[in-house]
Amino acid sequence: MSRLRLGRWLIAIPMSLLALATIYPLLFTANVAMKTRRDYILDRFGLTDTLRWENISTAWTSVGMGRYFVNSLFVVTVSVLLLLLFGSMAGFALSQLRFRGSSALFLGCLAGLFIPFQVIMVPLARIMADTALIDTYPGLILVYVAQFLPFTVFLMTSYYKGIPPEIVDAARIDGSTVYGVYRRIMLPLGTPALLSVGILNALFCWNDVLMALVMMPSADHRTLMIGVTSLRGQYSDNIPTFASGVLIAAIPVLLVYLFLQRQIADGVAAGSTKG
Amino acid sequence: MPIGNTQPSVRPASAGRAGGAAVSPAAHRSGARPRRTRGGLRAERYAPYILVLPAVLIIVLLRLYPLLLGVNFSFTGDGAQNGTSVGFGNYRELFGDPLFRTALSNVGLLVLLLPVAVAIPGLLATFIYLRVPGHRFYRSVYFFPAVLSPVIVGAIFNLLLAFDGPLNAVLGSFGVGPVDWLGDPDIAMFMVVGVHIWATFGMALVVFLAGFATLDAALLDAARVDGASLRQVVWHVIIPSLARTIQFVFVTTMIGMLTSMFGLLFVMTSGGPEGSTYLPEYYIWIQQGQMNRPALASAASTILFMIMLVVGLLQIKLLERSGKED
Repeated sequence: MSRLRLGRWLIAIPMSLLALATIYPLLFTANVAMKTRRDYILDRFGLTDTLRWENISTAWTSVGMGRYFVNSLFVVTVSVLLLLLFGSMAGFALSQLRFRGSSALFLGCLAGLFIPFQVIMVPLARIMADTALIDTYPGLILVYVAQFLPFTVFLMTSYYKGIPPEIVDAARIDGSTVYGVYRRIMLPLGTPALLSVGILNALFCWNDVLMALVMMPSADHRTLMIGVTSLRGQYSDNIPTFASGVLIAAIPVLLVYLFLQRQIADGVAAGSTKG
Repeated sequence: MPIGNTQPSVRPASAGRAGGAAVSPAAHRSGARPRRTRGGLRAERYAPYILVLPAVLIIVLLRLYPLLLGVNFSFTGDGAQNGTSVGFGNYRELFGDPLFRTALSNVGLLVLLLPVAVAIPGLLATFIYLRVPGHRFYRSVYFFPAVLSPVIVGAIFNLLLAFDGPLNAVLGSFGVGPVDWLGDPDIAMFMVVGVHIWATFGMALVVFLAGFATLDAALLDAARVDGASLRQVVWHVIIPSLARTIQFVFVTTMIGMLTSMFGLLFVMTSGGPEGSTYLPEYYIWIQQGQMNRPALASAASTILFMIMLVVGLLQIKLLERSGKED
């Protein structure tokens, strides 16, 4: 037994090194973001002795990260709310109500899971152009909703399957309509799942680059991640400002992660083990 | 993603408690379906369809229909030949294009590296499950890069791997290098895949841990009591019990490599140097957005879909086989 105990401590060494390798790149970036250009050229690794918040404000204003930030926030918020609304409506109907064609509709939604955006990028861009939705926020929001809806419907359906059907039956005997059951019972009961799925969807939308790149060609409609990609060209000789821009994009995710790590992991785990 | 395992890890908490408030005790006595007026009944009958309508409409119009449209596009021409049928012309052109061939051979490289990308999180999850000192800390640190955008990860590694950057500075102090990590066609693809694995192994780790949660602890204890070594525990207890989780991670990791490396490629190498870091998804984007060849891009999309279909069918085959063994 003591041999096994020692073994555990030995394993902890490479695991700690890996943990360091996982977190160091971000710490490095945060450190660089606070340096002056001169400091960075002279000493890349040393702890910064200045706190150059000007780098952050330069990235925020003159690079336009501030505007992109607001764009992203808007698009992600609306997308996630629509995903949760449509996903929970469909999930409730597909799991709790008996109606003709329900299993075919469920399979149809599932099929969407196996069609990545890359595969339908060209026709989707053409549909969006034909309907004058390309380069508009509603267009990008619609693309995000379509992208993550199959996953959302799938998770909400399997979550609502765990709720005993007697609850719905009883409420309806009391005279509640189907919509009343959805609004007063299913939405509140679904809160834990909605929270998990909502956070995951928010991360997916926030982190997306390809869909925004294809659907939003204009500069002033850019999302934050597109803003990050344009940093390289503009600030390749000013690494601290570059690092500041990266930091602005990473901090919201970092905060979400610190407070809601449990829900994120639960959502990923639920996606992998259900079905 | 559907998989044979049916252990819900997000449970409907407090189903009884919250529901109880809305349900009157009298309702429990009669088990019959509700009776209502004829008009209400008709509205009620359509209610399920109205509830699923937005989701089904969006998925059909913006997922399933574009798939068919795309396959159709791939047999038509670009530019002056827009809309006219060219048969398999686009596919012939694709396979003659060295960039697309590089993209396909890079897919082959991904397949070869797949076992590594699965084994690393698997092994780490095992250690975390066996409660290495500090296992909670490792779990949260390892998972963190998985929530960062590939664009952010790519930008950070651009900084670290730059020719005059920090990594070469460290190596230089040992008298090694400098190495042109992202500028050497023989190295760049490995760096991008390496960064992708660095950024995503936490996702697979969480999936593995969810699988471990369903593992029979008594089996492990029995093995321990019998004096099994760690290696024996892994080979004879953990791997057989987690067969389905392992298959699931194989498939999702492969799909992740095929569909979520665009951000890294875009930021770190832009497909270069010398086109050595092309993947199908990057090729599709270039042909669609930069080269104005949507039909050719559609053909590449169709081939990417075929590759993913093979990956998916392989999973179903494996599941069927393991189903028979159970």
